[in-house]
Amino acid sequence: MDIYDDKHLQELLSKAETQREGFELMVRKYSEQLYWQVRRIVITHEDANDVLQNAFIKAWNGLASFHGDSKIFTWLSRIAINESIDFVRKQKNLTTVSTDDTDFSVSNTLMADEYFDGDTTDAMLQEAIASLPDVQRTVFTLRYYEEMRYSDMSKLLGTSEGSLKASYHIAVKKITEYFKSRD
Amino acid sequence: MNEEQYLINKAGKENPFRVPEGYFDSLASQVMSRVDAEGNKPQDMPMIEKKTKTVWLRPVLYAAASVCALFISVTVYQHFTAQTVENTTEQVAVYSEDSFDEAADYVMIDNQDIYACLTGEY
Repeated sequence: MDIYDDKHLQELLSKAETQREGFELMVRKYSEQLYWQVRRIVITHEDANDVLQNAFIKAWNGLASFHGDSKIFTWLSRIAINESIDFVRKQKNLTTVSTDDTDFSVSNTLMADEYFDGDTTDAMLQEAIASLPDVQRTVFTLRYYEEMRYSDMSKLLGTSEGSLKASYHIAVKKITEYFKSRD
Repeated sequence: MNEEQYLINKAGKENPFRVPEGYFDSLASQVMSRVDAEGNKPQDMPMIEKKTKTVWLRPVLYAAASVCALFISVTVYQHFTAQTVENTTEQVAVYSEDSFDEAADYVMIDNQDIYACLTGEY
């Protein structure tokens, strides 16, 4: 039997004596996929690591809220994405309050980041993504990089497929305008 | 040109990010250390098991509910139908007798006129 099978994981998670083992297997199975979802929203590795670990702690403490009616990954992904959006909101508030003149623009920060391999165009794309409102930013990264179906995204974000399509369309338009204005 | 295609041509879809070496191998043990230090104590999650039982029992519960509903409907229907028939018979009887007297008064005939009429002597 595959120890990483969702049914097996669910059985382990349901009993106190096997819960920790089941949770560790679940973290091993899904952490990489979740990490990239979080990283594309929060951008830096340090932030992604913090946000993802906090999301796993929330999942552990909220195991009772998982009733098995959605897939384990969908449930975890919902927690991780909400945690990422919360983080981005708090960060925006901090930036607004800050009066420092230092250039903390996303592209400058990324170009100095040792865990960023892209060129200036990649950095510009990340800056344009970061300038979007939270939901558009999330929808864009899930669709553009992961090519996630709108029906799956709808289960994840609790929003209708129609409004998700509209959000993606607006996000693409804004990013395109961002690039054209700098050409 | 399609705007999405413009972006793909301009910046591509490759992942520009990377992680420290061995990061994913050590992540699970880091998370579990935090779970041990900050997380709730493990506990049974009866909701997960209960859910499976309820799902399995659901068709049986629906069938039982339908049988109960049908039984109640039939009983209530029979009760009211019997009562209505009884009332109707009584009402018709009362109605016929009263209306006959009223009709007789209206045309100003009495029993004798009626007998005469019936025997053909009127």
